[in-house]
Amino acid sequence: MTLPIELLLALLVWGTLVGVDLVSLPQMMIARPLVAGTVAGAILGDIPTGLKLGVVFELLQYDILPVGAVRYPEYGPATVAAVATAHASSGVLGLGLGALVGLVTGLLGGVTINVLRRVNSRIVHAAAAQLESGDPSALVRLHVGGLLRDALRAALVTIVGLVLAWLARPLLGGVLTVRGAVLLAVAIVATALAAGAAGTLRLVGRGPNLAWFAAGLGGGIAATIWLR
Amino acid sequence: MNGALARALLRLFAVQGSYNYERLLGVGVGVAEEPLLRDLGESRYRPAVARGAQFFNAHPYLIGLAVGAAARAEHDGAAPDQIERLREALCGPLGSLGDRLVWAGWLPFLSGLTLAGVALGAGWSAVGAFLIVYNIGHVALRWWALKAGWTHGTRVSVALHHPVLQKAGAVLGPAMAFSVGAALPLTAAYLSAPFDSWARVALAVVAALSFLALRLRGDRINGLRLSLALAAVALVVGLIWQ
Repeated sequence: MTLPIELLLALLVWGTLVGVDLVSLPQMMIARPLVAGTVAGAILGDIPTGLKLGVVFELLQYDILPVGAVRYPEYGPATVAAVATAHASSGVLGLGLGALVGLVTGLLGGVTINVLRRVNSRIVHAAAAQLESGDPSALVRLHVGGLLRDALRAALVTIVGLVLAWLARPLLGGVLTVRGAVLLAVAIVATALAAGAAGTLRLVGRGPNLAWFAAGLGGGIAATIWLR
Repeated sequence: MNGALARALLRLFAVQGSYNYERLLGVGVGVAEEPLLRDLGESRYRPAVARGAQFFNAHPYLIGLAVGAAARAEHDGAAPDQIERLREALCGPLGSLGDRLVWAGWLPFLSGLTLAGVALGAGWSAVGAFLIVYNIGHVALRWWALKAGWTHGTRVSVALHHPVLQKAGAVLGPAMAFSVGAALPLTAAYLSAPFDSWARVALAVVAALSFLALRLRGDRINGLRLSLALAAVALVVGLIWQ
């Protein structure tokens, strides 16, 4: 992947905004892979690739229900890195390599979220006396510090993702045959579809919504056959 | 007070900014509540700010309900232990209601529609529509929660039984199930389009086996781990099978 510096900077800024949106500010769902991928694609002038990778990671996102303090991978900056990778390689090879880079970046992003929360815990613990005194400036300072640390974290994750995107093509693109590239893409797309279905069924449960899910599935299958 | 409510609302958008395992969202809640406490007078202001920053956890979009209610209770001169009990009592219901309405309802419902739209060729306009429609609901819910909390104070449980919330909960579950159900086959067709026929068969087989693995061993594996594991296998096979 060789991109002009202004495009790399735009991807870095977008990845950072996406990373911050996931938890900290303002949770308007630009962190959803569909949105993150489409805009990353638009930045690169390649919206179809952005949409395709966005769909793959959106399906994987269904595997996650962010309730309580549950730990989860971070697919927003991961999708940005995936689109940057796929943009450099055409067709199925781009899809497979992009998804692979995105998965690794998503795993890393999830780890950094956990680390950040632990760091925040220590800082909040150390400031307990100020918080108990009701000092508003200390309160705001702590909070803004947390926001800035999250922005730094998101930027670092995006940078690592973009470095992986830069490395992917020379390291793997050259040695993978067409067949290997197809296998890689098949493996990731298939598990994304499975994760989407399994995650949705967890949300749906065994109650009356299951009939609605079956009706939707039937409608979707009928539409797919009809459109062919 | 409208200015203070507007400031509190703006701060609520960043309520999870200092998420930590010690107080969870407590610090963010304290920051959001602080503008509503400024006219309490110095003797009551600081203890109220300190109470606002105690441990708290709930759905981020509905936290305004707790922020408004606690601030109103402070203004009404409620006893500190009553306010603390109010906050404790709101954690569970606000969490479960928000999770059901948003994370398991509004968001996957619209995401499913968007996936279907993209698969049917709507492109980026489907994504743009998702962002706009989702955030109309998002912002409206945050604003309603803050206003309702501020209006009802310690009697905030009245707001939780609002008929619109009950109706939304009843409608969004089936709507989400239907939209994602419809999106899955359309998305499968969209993603498999670039593959040859043998690869499509392989895709169907791997997807079915992965689905079974996730359903039967969901306690041990998740989508990310399974994807990475299968990608590693595919890479090795692809490098060997020249």
